[in-house]
Amino acid sequence: MPFQNVLQITNVTFVASKNNKVLDFNLTIKNEGDIICLLGPSGIGKTTILRSIAGLQKIVKGKIILKGVTLSSEKRHIEPERRNIALSFQDNSLFPHFTVLENINFGAKRNRKANYEMNAKELIEILHLEGLEGKYPHQISAGEAQRVSLARSLMSKPDLLLLDEPFSNIDQSLKVEVQKNIKKILKEKKITTIMVTHDSYEAYDMADYCGIILSQTMKQYDTPYNVHHTPNSIEVANFLNKGILVDAKVIDDETVEHACLGQIKGHLVNKYPKDTLVKLLIQPEDLEHDDKSKLQLKIVDRKFRGTNFIYTLKTKNEDLIPVFVHSHHIHQHEVEENFGIKTPIYIDHLVCF
Amino acid sequence: MTYVSNSLLILIGVMSLTFCLGVFAAYFVSFYEFPGVNFFKWALILSFAVPAYIYAYSLTAFFENYGSLHSLLSFLFGEQNYNPYIPKFDGLVGAILSMSFSLFGYVYVLTRASFYHQSHNLIEVSKNLGYSARESFLKIILPSARPAIVAGLALVAMECLADFGTVSFFGISTLTTGIYNSWISFDDLNTANQLSFILLIFIFVLFFVENHSRGDAKYHQPSQGFRQIPRIELTKNKGRLVSLFLSILFFLSFLFPFLQMSYWTIKFPKYFEQIDILALNLNTLTLVILASIALIGFSFLINFGNRISKSKLLDQLSLFSISGYAMPGIILAIAFMTFVSWTSEALETFGIFGIKSVFIGSVLGLIFAYFIRFYSLAFNGIKSSYLKINQSIDESSYLLGYTKFRTFRKIHIPQLKDSIVLIGILIAIEIIKELPMTLILRPFNFDTFATKAHAYASQDLLEGAALPSLFLILWGGLLIFLTSKHILSEK
Repeated sequence: MPFQNVLQITNVTFVASKNNKVLDFNLTIKNEGDIICLLGPSGIGKTTILRSIAGLQKIVKGKIILKGVTLSSEKRHIEPERRNIALSFQDNSLFPHFTVLENINFGAKRNRKANYEMNAKELIEILHLEGLEGKYPHQISAGEAQRVSLARSLMSKPDLLLLDEPFSNIDQSLKVEVQKNIKKILKEKKITTIMVTHDSYEAYDMADYCGIILSQTMKQYDTPYNVHHTPNSIEVANFLNKGILVDAKVIDDETVEHACLGQIKGHLVNKYPKDTLVKLLIQPEDLEHDDKSKLQLKIVDRKFRGTNFIYTLKTKNEDLIPVFVHSHHIHQHEVEENFGIKTPIYIDHLVCF
Repeated sequence: MTYVSNSLLILIGVMSLTFCLGVFAAYFVSFYEFPGVNFFKWALILSFAVPAYIYAYSLTAFFENYGSLHSLLSFLFGEQNYNPYIPKFDGLVGAILSMSFSLFGYVYVLTRASFYHQSHNLIEVSKNLGYSARESFLKIILPSARPAIVAGLALVAMECLADFGTVSFFGISTLTTGIYNSWISFDDLNTANQLSFILLIFIFVLFFVENHSRGDAKYHQPSQGFRQIPRIELTKNKGRLVSLFLSILFFLSFLFPFLQMSYWTIKFPKYFEQIDILALNLNTLTLVILASIALIGFSFLINFGNRISKSKLLDQLSLFSISGYAMPGIILAIAFMTFVSWTSEALETFGIFGIKSVFIGSVLGLIFAYFIRFYSLAFNGIKSSYLKINQSIDESSYLLGYTKFRTFRKIHIPQLKDSIVLIGILIAIEIIKELPMTLILRPFNFDTFATKAHAYASQDLLEGAALPSLFLILWGGLLIFLTSKHILSEK
């Protein structure tokens, strides 16, 4: 192997506009075929990161190295057409004077050295574009255009594939299948991918690693499971989770105490000395329902979410705690009723700040 | 100074007439349903094919002593001397009429476009608010189209002040004829410069007004896309009246000069032998093709440069370079000649000879002058179609491995094909009609329809001007017909 990492981004500052920057960004992708998802609220600069990696924008600081070749640095800027990086735009960027098939094949001759083959017919099939081959971009829907754009990017057999909100316009019913098919093909052909999204479920589903970008920096970079269960800061927890933070006191490395819920067992992710007052993250799936329990809390709200209900419970010290209950649950509770919580409470990862 | 007062008199006359004709025609065509409305909508722009000087020739040919009207009356009522009863349209009145009928199209097209871009039928709205048709016209329709009307009138005024062919034919001392005469016959550069200066001040005031009003006119954008506004059905008699008015307008602005020139072409067939019509066609075609290639090619280059570099300086530079269209052709031609002689003299001291002969009295020099004059037409045309191509289209192409040049060839050119053809046609229309620059800068014995017609007309051989004029109108009309859809929708 002439190079160690597929992609290495060191200390790069991305600038989209005066108020929209990402500072000192670091990212290393070790294995070919890894899928990385960058998550963050809109307008944070995720698109700028992709555009800079693709070479559409210059960087002011740092270095971007792809397969051992420095693409961007303060002094060097390789033009996008010489990078062999594909970027699928969020908005429709199909060539209006070409048909769908011509669009898909437009970049096909680019990379003759690739160690895999791409087949337009196969892509059309897995992206459900059959019957659209002869149509022009203005004759197809936004979701279809997005899938064509995806196919076009894949056909160019890139060294690195960048996807900017690639599924945002695709119908919910088709989305899951398209995601599954795309992931399969990316893994099969070992296409290294960075994808930007603001939908955490999409990210968890697709990614090997997730990067959380908040207030101008990458706050956390980890596997989807870890990012979700052990967020490393309050900001990340707030951004990702539907849980809440409540006051608690540390008893030991396995126990914290809440004024109303009592002692909670589990494994403290961050260690604190005894008696430290901390904020404990409680996620809806952490608590279990038990009618016979002595711990009864009043229901202040109930939401039906299809597969489950989310009850919001009020503790004595006025904390509002969300709890998931499977929607096949035999009996339902009304607002103002009491709701039993199974004790003692056990949470795998006790996330405290 | 009679130069200034004559120019202003003509200006006032032409502006009042074009205002009335243009606004009323646009008003009727936009808001009312009457017999022939769809025909008149585009038929009225055929007037662009008849330049004012050709109109002047027709006017004179028809009304002069023993002219076409005399023949017509003799044919109908028997031989007699009708001359004392036939009105004479020459001098100021003739010039004003000729220019008005050939220029009212600017007011018509821009005003109609502004009515067209309203989201509702304004008459229905104002009637709903309790106004009568007359009140709504004065209080709502006119003010709503004001920026467009002002822009149209400013264009008319610029063309009117820059006109050379008409006023020279009628022998009126205006700024343009003054410049030409003092330059060519008296070789008096001082007077020419002074007059040019005055003319330029007028022109630049108008240029500013036009640009400013165009900016305002852009704000008329309906919220939910464009749709055909419903037209109000006129009662039978009113409808006939409006049809009659527009028929007369169409007849006077296009059919009359066309028929007059056709009639004389047939009546005096000997000019078919005297005029090498094939050469005129070829000359005009050569100029059109060379100028189009230069203009479109260069506009493409600059627009493409602007697009890939996004440099502010280049943007401003291109803004400066497009002010050329305001420059009257006659000033441009003289300035060009003066500049070339000056540089050639300067270069002769360095031992470089022959610059003058390369640029003056040559097709190359003529193309240069056209280039300066019509650059804005080509540049803006390509710019506006370029703006319709999303930037991410270019980026996608780069990302798929296509260089900037290949993107240009594979992505830009195919998408801009239609507008290239359109711009080529618009340039052709302008060049076919252009007189003063061609007259001054053309090579010896090199004629276009316009210069040939002018040559006969200035020798008082109007019947000889008929054949080239007829060809000019035919070509112009054909090209306008081809682009009518575009001219009516925006511009």
